[in-house]
Amino acid sequence: MAKTTNYADLHLITGGSGSGKSAYAESCVMAASLNEDYQRFYIATMIPYGEEGQQRVERHRKLRAEKQFVTVECYTGLERLKLNAVCRKIVLLECMSNLVANEMFEPDGAGEDTVNAVLRGIDMLRQQTDRIIVVTNEVFSDGIRYDAETMRYLSFLGAVNQALAAQADRVTEVVYGIPVILK
Amino acid sequence: MILVTGGAFQGKLEFAQKTYGFTDGWIDGRNCGFAEIRECRGIHHFHEYVRRMTGTGENAFLPDEENDAETCAQVPWNFENEDLTALENQADLFAAWLIKENPKLVIVSNELGYGVVPMEKQDRLWREAAGRICTCLAARADEVVRVVCGIGMRLK
Repeated sequence: MAKTTNYADLHLITGGSGSGKSAYAESCVMAASLNEDYQRFYIATMIPYGEEGQQRVERHRKLRAEKQFVTVECYTGLERLKLNAVCRKIVLLECMSNLVANEMFEPDGAGEDTVNAVLRGIDMLRQQTDRIIVVTNEVFSDGIRYDAETMRYLSFLGAVNQALAAQADRVTEVVYGIPVILK
Repeated sequence: MILVTGGAFQGKLEFAQKTYGFTDGWIDGRNCGFAEIRECRGIHHFHEYVRRMTGTGENAFLPDEENDAETCAQVPWNFENEDLTALENQADLFAAWLIKENPKLVIVSNELGYGVVPMEKQDRLWREAAGRICTCLAARADEVVRVVCGIGMRLK
């Protein structure tokens, strides 16, 4: 994917669970859009299961509404997403680990074509917005030999992460809330 | 000696091939022989070779090596016991031996230690041995790189 000047600035943020990467990503969005005429979008990729899941999602949605985010659910088919705003657009997508799992395992997902489908989705998003921050997950270092399906998931997420990092303007790993600049 | 580490599926081998400028002369820790480690330019899936040294899965020797008493006598490892001090000593002996035998070797190995303690005894032993050996290798290495999302960060 050749990068052109029309493409949104891409910042990839990774880290382990509980590393503070979500809070850091949100602070990046706020800092980037504080004094500018931006519409903030939050692309939520986690499918809320059960009442507890619904409640969590609702709570987060309210918190983000206070920060003037428009929340857009996108569980599969990112490439079909259209974001409308009259001003410039800044997007926070969280989390890539959910989007890859959805594309692989949901009935309407891309299955075998997951890696390409997700990358096409990011490409489409970069063409219609100004800044994108993608949050992904470090789940590759526990040394566990999982079943074949899980190993395939890890290889797909790893491939997506590598491709995004290659095209990103910035890549950051968050360690206990401390941003480590990889690129 | 150069150690390239990081999680699984991070593009470590590709990074090493590009950075150190060779795509031939690599062996795979999942199926290589003991003798090859002394002669190759690079070894990837090194953590899988450690697994074989701890007595799980494929034998760390190829069949023809296994029957060669002289080769077996050179083996500088004994990772099949759970005693931590013994494990550390063995790891250091092995690292010292490997660097002496193959001082320009590039080693690509997965990080295994960022999860909860494995349920199986053999998995615990493997994880511990891989951690100790790579720590000893890193201490003696000329360069240590950690790869995340295909991007290498030099730690040493």
